Amino acid sequence: MGWDRPYESRFLSVDPAAQRFRVNRRCFADATVFEEEKRKILYRSWLYLCHESEVANRNDFLVREILDKELLVTRDAAGEVNVFYNTCTHRGALLCRSKAGNRKAFGCPYHGWTFSAAGRVLTRNADTGYRADADADGAYSLKRVPRLEKRAGFYFINFDAEAVSLDEFLGDAGERIDILDEHSTGGLEVIGYHEYSISGNYKMMCENSYDGYHLMPTHGSYFTYQKAMLEGLPQRALGGFALSLTNGHATVETDIVSGRPIAQWLPVWGAAAHDLIEAKKLELIERLGEKRAHQLGQTNRLMVIFPNTVMNDQQSIQIRSVLPVGHDKMITRAWLLGPRNEDPELRRVRLEGALSFLGPGGFATPDDIEMLELCQRGYNMGGVEWNDISKGFEAGEETARGTSFWNNELHLRAYWTQYDKMMSAS
Amino acid sequence: MEFPAALLTRLQVEDFIYREAALLDSWNIEAWLALFAEDSAYEVTPPGVEDPDRISRQSAYFLIGDDRKRLGHRVARLGQPDAHVESPRSKVRHVYSNVIIAEDDADEVRAYANFITFRTKRGTIEYFGRIRFVLARLDGSFLIRNKRVMMDIDALVPQGKVSILL
Ligand code: FES
Ligand SMILES: [Fe+2]
Repeated sequence: MGWDRPYESRFLSVDPAAQRFRVNRRCFADATVFEEEKRKILYRSWLYLCHESEVANRNDFLVREILDKELLVTRDAAGEVNVFYNTCTHRGALLCRSKAGNRKAFGCPYHGWTFSAAGRVLTRNADTGYRADADADGAYSLKRVPRLEKRAGFYFINFDAEAVSLDEFLGDAGERIDILDEHSTGGLEVIGYHEYSISGNYKMMCENSYDGYHLMPTHGSYFTYQKAMLEGLPQRALGGFALSLTNGHATVETDIVSGRPIAQWLPVWGAAAHDLIEAKKLELIERLGEKRAHQLGQTNRLMVIFPNTVMNDQQSIQIRSVLPVGHDKMITRAWLLGPRNEDPELRRVRLEGALSFLGPGGFATPDDIEMLELCQRGYNMGGVEWNDISKGFEAGEETARGTSFWNNELHLRAYWTQYDKMMSAS
Repeated sequence: MEFPAALLTRLQVEDFIYREAALLDSWNIEAWLALFAEDSAYEVTPPGVEDPDRISRQSAYFLIGDDRKRLGHRVARLGQPDAHVESPRSKVRHVYSNVIIAEDDADEVRAYANFITFRTKRGTIEYFGRIRFVLARLDGSFLIRNKRVMMDIDALVPQGKVSILL
């Protein structure tokens, strides 16, 4: 669809002739809009769950809170990954009280029912009172989340049993998730994660994650630091583009600006890292060809999967799940990933790069958080209706499959066009 | 009665870290940085890990893992007006207690302290847990070789971030 005529809804105000594209602040500040959003978007979209390496072995499990649900993820004895509501099917107690581990069976502390990692009842801790075949039909098995599918090792869930498949939902974005998996031949693993709260609407974190426009004003102090780190490397202008994908997803891809273990060495990292990173560069070219190797090793890719998953490939691979806890509060969970069995020296520089920029103790993210909290305060005061995301807007713009300069706002318009479409549906 | 040497060390360490905290509370951060030795580190371990005393920032995803050089950049950044999260600056108050000397060598002391640090700016948040100090003895006082902050939290909820020096 191209934006060629004026459009007004509860959420958007678009005037192509005036090059004006605006979002109503009620999308951030109104609790009833958020309730509607849960029904129409969050419980009907594919949401990031986990990476396969987090439940790599049989009987591995983890507990993960998503929206208002607490979920139990297991890899069962047959090697299948399952995701259950973490509540005992007898009378409701939270079943698993550890965060992660390896366990063949899950015992409920209340009356002693036990369940297998595949969710079946193993015992009810009772010699009398039940028919022998009471659970023959699986009626008391742990309740599954309606949909669980994966793309290139990344598991997503959907609370809507009728939803389209994950691949169809991802559309053009799917191929860019596959790229992440090509970092190494042995797959990826989760190195660690950060979890932090922000007093702001979760959609701002999505906007911020691939917003090129804010970099200099918000992160001036980070760039001062980066300049010192980049000493000895040729300075160059930052090239790149924004690309909107199907279904509200979009990516912003630029030349790399700092070092990364795949595959841009920094002099401050020392000689040992140099040889390893150069070897990695060659390995990529040999395995994937010049073009793909360049895309993998020499570009920053910031992608937002509508509505709340961020998949970044910059100093390192970082996946963010942005979870609302109300219209004005969110929790971000951000996992750092790298190749399984990565050389310790490369792992060291990966962590170096990630630590300085990303994360709630880094040189950049705290300033982002500050901006989002300032915005939320601006929305909460009311009296002003509109946010503007017109930068680079052109009459006739194709927001579902368009491309634009990397620090324009095309990708934000793609996100909000999808938002409006789902929210305006009856 | 002779004054016990172990007690003396503890008093020396307490005196040193109380002054260290005072520099942070008064945002005298350049002077605070000067307390760190050349080959030192300032670290904040990831919340929720099993054994924060043992892990290494070379293999685990810390919240903060600064060598002396990056710590210098961190302090310099916090002095700039475009370090927005601390501009204007928050009010900071460190409280240290339960100081225990774990190791006391001729040239180095390893000590642990419980801590609570309050940060106030548009509301107050608290950071708390245990800090490990590795201190190099120098002319009757100390230089910091390692300050490792290990918080008793599962996630930065509701703290949100670590924008101040803990
Ligand atoms: S609630 Fe779990 S056994 Fe009764
Ligand atoms: Fe940012």
